[in-house]
Amino acid sequence: MRRLGPWLLGVAALAAVPLFVRTSFFLHVCILVFMWTLLGAAWNVLGGFAGQVSFGHAALFGVGSYATIILYLKAGIAPWWGIPLGGVAAAAVSMPIGLLCFRLRGPYFSLSTLAMAEIVRVVALNWEWATNGPVGFLITALPPLRILGREVNWESKEPFYAVAAILALMALVSTALLKRSRLGAYLAAIREDEDGAEAVGIDTVRSKVLTLALSAFLAGLGGGFYAFYFRYVDPDTVLGIGLSIEMVLIAIVGGLGTLGGPFIGALFLTTIGEAVRERIQVGHLIFYGLFMMLVIRFLPEGIWGRAYRFLARRQAGVPRHGAA
Amino acid sequence: MALLEVEGLTRHFGGVRAVGNLSFTVGEGEIVGLIGPNGAGKTTVFNLITGFLRPSAGQIRLDGASVVGLRPHAVTKRGIARTFQIVKPFLGLSVKENVTLAAFLRHPARRDAEAAALEVLQTLGLGPKSDGLASELTLADQKRLEMAKALATGPRLILLDEPMGGLDASELLVASSIVQQIRKAGVTVILVEHVMKAIMRISDRVVVIHHGEKIAEGPPARIVQDPNVIAAYFGKRAS
Repeated sequence: MRRLGPWLLGVAALAAVPLFVRTSFFLHVCILVFMWTLLGAAWNVLGGFAGQVSFGHAALFGVGSYATIILYLKAGIAPWWGIPLGGVAAAAVSMPIGLLCFRLRGPYFSLSTLAMAEIVRVVALNWEWATNGPVGFLITALPPLRILGREVNWESKEPFYAVAAILALMALVSTALLKRSRLGAYLAAIREDEDGAEAVGIDTVRSKVLTLALSAFLAGLGGGFYAFYFRYVDPDTVLGIGLSIEMVLIAIVGGLGTLGGPFIGALFLTTIGEAVRERIQVGHLIFYGLFMMLVIRFLPEGIWGRAYRFLARRQAGVPRHGAA
Repeated sequence: MALLEVEGLTRHFGGVRAVGNLSFTVGEGEIVGLIGPNGAGKTTVFNLITGFLRPSAGQIRLDGASVVGLRPHAVTKRGIARTFQIVKPFLGLSVKENVTLAAFLRHPARRDAEAAALEVLQTLGLGPKSDGLASELTLADQKRLEMAKALATGPRLILLDEPMGGLDASELLVASSIVQQIRKAGVTVILVEHVMKAIMRISDRVVVIHHGEKIAEGPPARIVQDPNVIAAYFGKRAS
């Protein structure tokens, strides 16, 4: 717990940002960084800790988005309840997906998740009764909310900044807790050798399904937040393959299986992406790819992974291999 | 009653019968050697007993209770641990963490599991290396780690798949003394091994299989004289 100090300081600094910086573009980038931190962490739980590389997390994100927006538009449930419910919906959907895809290992597992995500996208595109098909849903006005006697201004960025920051922090805290838990230790064993893990008595299927559910819950929260913030959901924006790939990139660039990695990855990639997006439409993906190649070539353990090792080596007594 | 009873065990891979109608028993506290020429089905038998493969037919009982159909982790929980011929250490983790993961099976709290792991590592002489990475161990030590992991699951029966394969003469001595130590600790042992000298010296009883069928069974001294065994290993003399 001696490292709690810097963390608290960081949180305080985060909370103070909107008090000083009023540029809405800057706050927008911060909000995206937090959202992608959450999504990178969601992917990292399964891909980094358990070594199960998913190319289908867009499906979980999309289920969260749709759940949040449908609950609001059709049942009048406010997004701040809808976002966690979106997470729950994604976790529920992940169960059958997990039971099917976890029969496969390695690249076959990855491909099956990709196929699964495409199935979900095509269903959303054609199941007009539930999803409005390609037209999607649009939130025209968010429900009024008073906090501490003040009306929340949904046309400003600050409330979204606060929600995104809380979600990102929660994701990082829950991955930290997971890592310290027995399940976290099991995941490391599964990542290293699945048969070896079974042989020492680890129920690998149960561990993987539980982890997928947690990962899906976080991805669903991200999707719910997306619907809340952008107020628009259609199959291609919330269920596209691109989303799945971006989650993978963030986790890898930041550092697979590290705690701080998703934040660092989101910070780098989102900043680059938004800076480039000003000039070139969808050009950010080209730069993501370039950045990814550079990281894989020169920093295979990710930016955070490398930085952590560097710091650990400088502080004598810290074990060399204790990952972040 | 025998600790392990294998009855009519059969496994087909497509049209190939890897194990056919194999029956044997292992008594509590025994060291039983399972030998046979390459491809005889020894490792398949281990995979069947430990749940990595499902038998096409036959029965496997530990202490009278069937373990057929259980997944490997459940078989381990019942008290049958195994090592792999091609070792499967968790390479990126420390030696201690490798064994701690196995000890979690009987000790849910991390502190207890770590204590149990260290005890096993001391017993097997890996204590001084427990903080290093598993990937930094020599093959002999990785085989030892493999046994440490199996032991840390608190088994009644341990299946060792070629714990001595690829070891040099002095490492062999250490490995066979470890096997005897395991038995002394009250764990029954089934040993698959190619190193004949070692298996003949430490086994109480030897089961010989060839093409998945049992061709001989008995004390080592008698097995080496058995004409069926000699034929299986060296081929029949042309008459």
